[in-house]
Amino acid sequence: MNPADSKKLDGLEKIQGRAQFTDDLTRPGMLHGAFHRSPHAHARILRIDVTAALAMHGVKAVLIGTDLPIAYGVLPVAQDEHALALDTVRFVGEEVAAVAATTREAALAAARAIVVEYEVLPAVLSVEDALAETAPIVHNERRKKTNILRKVRREYGEVDEGLERCEVVLEDTYYYPGSTHVPLETHTSLAEPDGHGRVVLHTSTQIPHHLHIALARVLQARLQDIRVIKPHVGAGYGGKSDPFATEICAAALALRTGRPVKFILDREEVFYAHRGRHPAHMRIKLGATSDGTLTTCDFSAHSPGGAYASYGVVTAYYFGVFLPLPYRLENLRFETSRLYTNHPPCGPKRGHGAIQPRFALEVQVDRLAEALGQRPDIFRLGNLAPPMSETCNGLRITSSAMGTCIEEATQASGFAGKHNQLPHGHGVGLATSAYMCGAAHPIHANALPQSSVCVSADRSGRVAIFSGTADIGQGSNHMLASLVSRTLGIPLRDCTVLEADTDLTPVDLGAYSSRVTFMAGNAALEASNKLCAVLLEAASTKLAMESEALVFQDGRIASATDPDCSLAFSEAIALAEQTHGTLTFTGSYTPPRIGSRFKRESVGPSPAYSFTAQVAEVEVDTQTGFVHVKRIWCAHDCGKAIHPGIVEGQIEGSVYMGVGEALLEEQSFHPSGLHRSPSILEYKIPTIHETPEIISILVEEGDPEGPLGAKEVGEGPQLPTVPAIANAIYDACGIRLTEAPFTPERVLKALEKLEKTG
Amino acid sequence: MLPLPPFELHQPVSTAQATALLSDLEKPRIISGGTDLLPSMKYGLFTPPHLVSTRRIESFSAISGTEEGLSIGAGATLSSVAAHPWVRRHYPTLATACSTVATPTIQEMGTLGGNVMLDTRCLWYNQSTFWRNALGGCLKCEGEICHVAPKGQGCYAVHSADTVVVLLLLNAELELASVRGTRRMPLESFYTDDGIHWASLEPGELLTRIVLPPPPRARLAFRKLRARGSIDYPLLLTAVRVDLDEHNQPSGGRVVLSALGPRPIEVSDVSESIAQSKHEEAAETAWSQAFPLPTHQWSTPWRKKMVRVEVGRALAELS
Repeated sequence: MNPADSKKLDGLEKIQGRAQFTDDLTRPGMLHGAFHRSPHAHARILRIDVTAALAMHGVKAVLIGTDLPIAYGVLPVAQDEHALALDTVRFVGEEVAAVAATTREAALAAARAIVVEYEVLPAVLSVEDALAETAPIVHNERRKKTNILRKVRREYGEVDEGLERCEVVLEDTYYYPGSTHVPLETHTSLAEPDGHGRVVLHTSTQIPHHLHIALARVLQARLQDIRVIKPHVGAGYGGKSDPFATEICAAALALRTGRPVKFILDREEVFYAHRGRHPAHMRIKLGATSDGTLTTCDFSAHSPGGAYASYGVVTAYYFGVFLPLPYRLENLRFETSRLYTNHPPCGPKRGHGAIQPRFALEVQVDRLAEALGQRPDIFRLGNLAPPMSETCNGLRITSSAMGTCIEEATQASGFAGKHNQLPHGHGVGLATSAYMCGAAHPIHANALPQSSVCVSADRSGRVAIFSGTADIGQGSNHMLASLVSRTLGIPLRDCTVLEADTDLTPVDLGAYSSRVTFMAGNAALEASNKLCAVLLEAASTKLAMESEALVFQDGRIASATDPDCSLAFSEAIALAEQTHGTLTFTGSYTPPRIGSRFKRESVGPSPAYSFTAQVAEVEVDTQTGFVHVKRIWCAHDCGKAIHPGIVEGQIEGSVYMGVGEALLEEQSFHPSGLHRSPSILEYKIPTIHETPEIISILVEEGDPEGPLGAKEVGEGPQLPTVPAIANAIYDACGIRLTEAPFTPERVLKALEKLEKTG
Repeated sequence: MLPLPPFELHQPVSTAQATALLSDLEKPRIISGGTDLLPSMKYGLFTPPHLVSTRRIESFSAISGTEEGLSIGAGATLSSVAAHPWVRRHYPTLATACSTVATPTIQEMGTLGGNVMLDTRCLWYNQSTFWRNALGGCLKCEGEICHVAPKGQGCYAVHSADTVVVLLLLNAELELASVRGTRRMPLESFYTDDGIHWASLEPGELLTRIVLPPPPRARLAFRKLRARGSIDYPLLLTAVRVDLDEHNQPSGGRVVLSALGPRPIEVSDVSESIAQSKHEEAAETAWSQAFPLPTHQWSTPWRKKMVRVEVGRALAELS
């Protein structure tokens, strides 16, 4: 790679403070929005009095639930939300009214002046609450009067018979807590009306396209009359993958007042917007035969998932469908559910729905290896599903470098020499995982491409790439520019990426499910290959050479054997344009038809899976219970790294987030349903002191369908972190922790119990 | 970002001007580094109409060490105290304690006087106006019950000033000024058992200096237990002092703990154990006198257990 091309496309402008995030945008006459929020976890709204608020200086408009009566939700099967509570509030912090005023201070003061009378209802705050026979119903408007959003039960193979044939069967319960994303940038939206009924929304989102659809629905507007633009985004981690009240109310208030309206959440409000990790109460029964073959898994997971569905239906499936990966399981049964409770709604967080079961599975695999007298790495290596195979639940595995990942991570860490051999209090642990590269079946079931990219060549030699993808800091713009510039043999800086503007860019479904590199990358390659073809044709004619003998490099189209025989890239464009007119080409990506063996299964199939192995080395302070994660070696099968530096960044970010969930993070609520610590002082994410040394190992064996062989890296590397740390704690001091996070108190309690029982 | 409530800022250039303002203005508050006051104001814990800043009073940032001891202006930043050669040479444990407050950037703004005057803290109190209203407030702010001890009468918000446990072992005195004059008060009688009225301060009084006698013939250790390696307020503060005789042998000692209740506590009956280097016994004594309450996210029984561990480790550092 050209050294200049290794600099992240938007790195300099971000470092220099030039990059425009939504809150950097201001408009003449702009109003500021603020919310009035529910202090109750569950209550009926009896009366809302906005008279005093409307009379306050600077206040231009107030909206309440009945102003936006149409329900929405990111999934077509779960349209259960309103931007402002309609007649019932379902969690502490839910938006009840929205104000637009000339200053933020005036908006906040007016929001406080709104008077709401409630009839407080009993709240549902646990799995037991939700399933009780006399349980209050969180969504009384649903046809089914239960708190079960979705229950999934599946069996592949013959689980009971499989378990009977096993030599060793181990059963345990696990608990994984809820956690939240904590993106640096809080949710921010600026809506501008054009005076003719159109509205332009600049917003910090991961899903411009889905948001576009939701806005049109709620505002009862034509799609053509709504334009969603995503400026630079200060990260999402899944937390900006739903339509939010900020977005809908900004647009609605802009249309109501005829003035631009900006909303920015404060940090506490982000904890209420949430959509974070689902807590999961899990039970796993895992069995292996006497020869050490892992054959059977029986699993259940139930999640008190909060007041609205978000992606919760999908979560219930994700809890189960990835369990066979990366092993050669024969029999799998799972029963999972996502319940409604009166908490801020859970949703997708990095490694959506797969992180929790991975904790249970990988600790259980470690236990099984021990029971069979095998080293954890050898046991895992002996049970891997091979490349080009299919799991028992019909997931198509194409490329897999899982074995290489385990070997690389264990070799680099010296696992064999450390496991079971370090002094008391010191230990190493291994865990593995796999994750999807986008979902084969889109949220809105249709036959349309999931991603389209348009590439347009200017006579100057500059190439513009139009894409609906959402770069949220992860570097997808760089990925697009890198693929296109490499195909065309031009410097990366000669590419302009225009992204995430629903007026200008072709549809991409958004930055979630680790889909962007695989899907938008392939679309970009297809578009640039079409451009290549016409340039090659022009160059071949001009140079009087066979097109097969020509290569794109250094901004020229040249003979592969005689560098003096060449044509400048811009000349080739001018020549091709004479024949073809303006050079604009499109490419798109539709996943192959996969996952059809089990007709009902639309969740889980992906065009490819990434694989990860991690070794954690920890030191446990057996007097205080503090766990110090010293180092984590992460070997990740990313197919091919389009930009190794960005791949390493994603690995480091994933591991960092995993360490936070392993040691510190937990959504915790007061018995009233109030979040106990909605601030980043008291909701503890790791500082640099808690962040281990992270050794990233890129395993690049290539994927047959990935763009230049690439697969995902944004989420997969987080999956093994928590179980690797749990397994390392066991190696260090003999305690099996089955509840995360591994707080000093939990560690000490387990050590005391171990001492008592021997 | 939360907006600050409106206030008028006063910037006197002398102690006399400052005390006059404190006497004349309605409900003034003193602002030094502002690192605790401003976030609290954003949370609506205080909405003072007037802030009197000590930043322009020259003597407030002065640090001077002599044979007679050490004088630190209340406005000296924590980083300037930690970096001061006299402090580093004669009171190194104080420098250590200053360097554990919050983060390095906050130490650049936060002051030693501000740390001495740090408001007591509680899980139920240091929250936004919305949050407190959803809960119905607490004794210290807007409410009528204490969520930490619902059957109790008082407020148990926690003294959380890192430097104070060390200043206590160094026998610090506070210089307080008002329009009525200047007085000195031993730090050990400054704090009270009441989480709301936690300081023995008279109306209109301003902390001007922290004064230390010459360093004792002793070794000191300071430990701060916190959730993470930076930023966090303490879960437990431990300072121990081993007094030395002319042969540099332990002759007695003291243990001060904090982050347990509204004021730091000096452990009693511990000197003899320290003199005899019975560290486990000293740690046990400290443990038996510590009674943390559920004022923090982290478990109360665990915090109590940590008293024994932390005192033991502090003593071990000195042996």
